[in-house]
Parts: sequence; C-alpha cells; structure tokens
Amino acid sequence: MQLSDTDLIIQAQKGDQSAFEELVYRYDRNVLSITIKYANNEDDAKDLYQEVFIRVYRGLKSFRFQSEFSTWLFRITTNVCLTYKSRSKEHLKVSIDKDIDDEENEIRETTELVYDGLSPEEISSGADLGEIVNAAVESLSPKQKMTFVLKHYEGYKIREIAEMLNCKEGTVKKYLFDATKNLRKKLSPVYA
Amino acid sequence: MKHNEYKQLLQLSLFGELKSEEQLKLKEHLLTCEECRVELEDQKNLLELISGKKKAAVDEKVLSAARYQLRGALRAERSSNNILNSIADNIFQYFTTPLKFTFAGAALLIIGVVIGGIFFNKSSQTEFTGQQNGESKFSSLSEDISISNVRFIDSDASDGEVEFTFEASKPIQLRGKVTDPQIQSVLTYAMLNEQNPGSRLNSINAMDAETPVQYDNDVKNALITVIMTDENPGVRREALKLMSKFTYDETVKQTLLYVITSDTVSGLRIEALNSLIEAGGKGYKLNQEELNLFRNKLQRDENPYIKLRSRTILQEYN
Repeated sequence: MQLSDTDLIIQAQKGDQSAFEELVYRYDRNVLSITIKYANNEDDAKDLYQEVFIRVYRGLKSFRFQSEFSTWLFRITTNVCLTYKSRSKEHLKVSIDKDIDDEENEIRETTELVYDGLSPEEISSGADLGEIVNAAVESLSPKQKMTFVLKHYEGYKIREIAEMLNCKEGTVKKYLFDATKNLRKKLSPVYA
Repeated sequence: MKHNEYKQLLQLSLFGELKSEEQLKLKEHLLTCEECRVELEDQKNLLELISGKKKAAVDEKVLSAARYQLRGALRAERSSNNILNSIADNIFQYFTTPLKFTFAGAALLIIGVVIGGIFFNKSSQTEFTGQQNGESKFSSLSEDISISNVRFIDSDASDGEVEFTFEASKPIQLRGKVTDPQIQSVLTYAMLNEQNPGSRLNSINAMDAETPVQYDNDVKNALITVIMTDENPGVRREALKLMSKFTYDETVKQTLLYVITSDTVSGLRIEALNSLIEAGGKGYKLNQEELNLFRNKLQRDENPYIKLRSRTILQEYN
C-alpha cells in the first residue's frame, strides 16, 4: 500500500532518506515542468529544481502540517523561480532584479520591459514562431510570467496559484490580465 | 456590469474559471456586443498561439539528469550536516553518559557566567553601550573575546530596555598531529565553512601531508562536499587530489562522475576523468545508467581531450 505524504514526511523528518526520495519522486515531475516553462532553459530549470528540493530538505524538519505538503512545495517552487536570476540573461535589456513584492512597480516596469531578441521587423519577416512566443513570455515581469505559466501551461486553478504565491485571488487575476494584455501587444503582429 | 468587466470575464472564461451564473451573463452579453465577440476571438487566437509549450511533457532525460544532480547535492548537504554533528560528537566522546550531563551542565554554567559577566559587570555594560557596528571586545571579561552579529529583537529603548542576540567568540590555539580527531574535526569544519579560500585550501593541504591517508568517513564526506560545492576551483582541485588518496569505492566513483558531468572547469573534469580511467584499469567499472549519463554529457563537452578520452572509455565498454 502506498504511504501518504504525511507518513513519508514523518519518516523523512526522522532521517529516513528513502522516504524523502519517495516524496521527491512524487512531485518532482511537476516541479521540473514549472521550472522548465518558467526558465525556458534546461540548465537553469535543473538548477531551480535542485534549489527547490534542497530548500525542502532543509525545511522539512520544521514542517508542521499547517498546509498540504504540495502547497508548501509549490510555494517554495514559485519563490525560487521568482527570485532566480538566469545564468544566461544577457539578452534582457532591463534588469528584473527588483523588489518582487512591489506589485505596483512591477506592473509599471512590465510596460517598460523591452526584449531585444526580436525586433518587430524580424517578427513580421517570419522569424521562428516558437522563438517569438518565448520572447514575448520572457518579456513579462516575474510574477506575471509565473502566474501565466502556472495557469496557462500547467493548468492550475486561480485559487491554487493564489495559495502558491501567498496572495489574494484578485491579485492573481490582475497578473493574468496584465500578462495577457502585454502578450497581445507583443504578439498581435503574428496572429492578428 | 461595466463593459470592461465583461472583458475580464472573457478571459476567465477561456481559463475555465467562471461560475455558471457568470458564464450565463457573459453569454447573454456576447449576443448583443460585437466588440466583445471580436475580443473573444482575439483572445482565443492568442491562447492558441501560445499553447505550443502547453502539452509538452517533461523530457525523461532531463528529469533523470536533474535527479542525478539533486542526489549529489543532497549527499553534499547531508555530509555537511554530519560534519557539524561529528564535531559535537568528538567533543563529547571522551565523556561517559553521566559525565556528558555534567559537562553539559558545566557548559551551561560557563555560558551563564560569561553572559552574567557581560550583563552584570558595570564596566562591560558601559563599554558595550559605547560600541558601534557589531564587532566588539569586552576588556573587562577577556581581551580576546569578541562579539559579532548583533541582531535586535527590540531596539526601542523608550521603556529603558532593549533586547538583542549576538555571537561571542574567542580564538583558540591548537597544536597536534593531523591524525588527532580534534585537529581533524576543526580542519574539516574549516575546509567546509571558512570564508577565506586560502584557509580552506590550507586546511585541505594540511591533511594532504599525512601519507598514507588515515582519515575517517567524515573527512571523506567533507571533501566530497567541497568538490561538489566550493566556488573556488583551486580548493576543489586540492580536495579532488586528496580524495584520490582514499580507497576507491562507490562514493568516490559517484563524486568523480559528478565532477565530469557538472564541473565548469575543464582541468578538474580531466583530473576526475583520469582518476576514473585509472580505477577502471583496476577493475572498477561503470554501470549502464552511469555510462548513459557519461555519454550524453561528454558528447556535449567542449574540451577535445575529454571528448577523445570519453570515446576511448565508451569503446572499451562496447
């Protein structure tokens, strides 16, 4: 019979490494899926994945079951993603290294973000569609990109995303609306 | 409901987040509003365009590589924790159980006396209140005790009291053989935790002077941690050199594979590769999973020597 998360956590808290591994294997596919889509780069995604589970390993001893393990894990995942700086971010003209809690600034800065990988001319001249879409998603602010990835690519409910990001559902909606607005602005030459 | 609110409902509808009554309202609105119908089509087209990545499942090879790296990082994390525990054990191992309690009691008493001395000795209180910026000395207690990392819990002195935590430390001089467990514990701790790379290097070199190697697993685990995590390539190289003097086993093999597949310095990858080849000559072989990882990574290695050697290894296995 398969052990519950709670049983595995209790065993892992007592030092059982195989229980911890079992926990990792239960969720790591989802974590890697998020990090790959967020980072858009396999090496960075693997670094993020590792950072997530090292933090889980360190924090598991003090996990008090006040939330579901998965909620806690994905909260860590989103935190790690939001604070990550890519090893290969030279292509971004504007730094996204800013206070991620400052939502107003974030929204304002988003409109100022310029992606220099592809110009409107390149877009209209038929550059690879995947690249264009990636470039547009990359140009979103970290929180907009995170909510968009979780909602659109990973299919989480707004309520679940709000739990992961530790914010209100209205805030998640706001990020999503802004993300869509920015993406439409960037991609309208391609699909309109 | 305002027109803009319907536009937001449109998007939520596409994300499958509308309640049935909201869905109904939107449907009614769409019947009469051309602008929103156009908007709906536009958003559908956008989401369709972006959905390329949507269905892509995680590549098993990437997952496998990520798990492999994680296992290495967790091993490093665990051995780092073990070292700290071992230092504590080394201090306590000389005492029988009743004596441990006595020792613990005495330690608490000493801490109490020190703290008491700090807080109830008038001159040190005066000196303390005159200090700024963290690091301080308490001449009234002892010239060489220093404090650092003062962190305030309550810095508001309006009620006449403040509350904070700090770290007190005192330099200790040790002299002894590197085979001495206490010396080993400190050197091991230093190679893992010293801020200065020169000190980390010296700690490893000090142990390297001992031939043949007579260190226990804690030292080996610490070396593995250094090899996997130290940011300084020189420190990693010395640790790798010292580890090669240990008996070759599964842990050493995994560490060498980790360096070959993950270290950014080609010189270190070559050293690890040479050690692995040498061990292979003595009959220690790689299993299929390791060979696959080895093959994938080495095919992409930019160093021609590593490519050449890896080809030779893979040919040996074919």
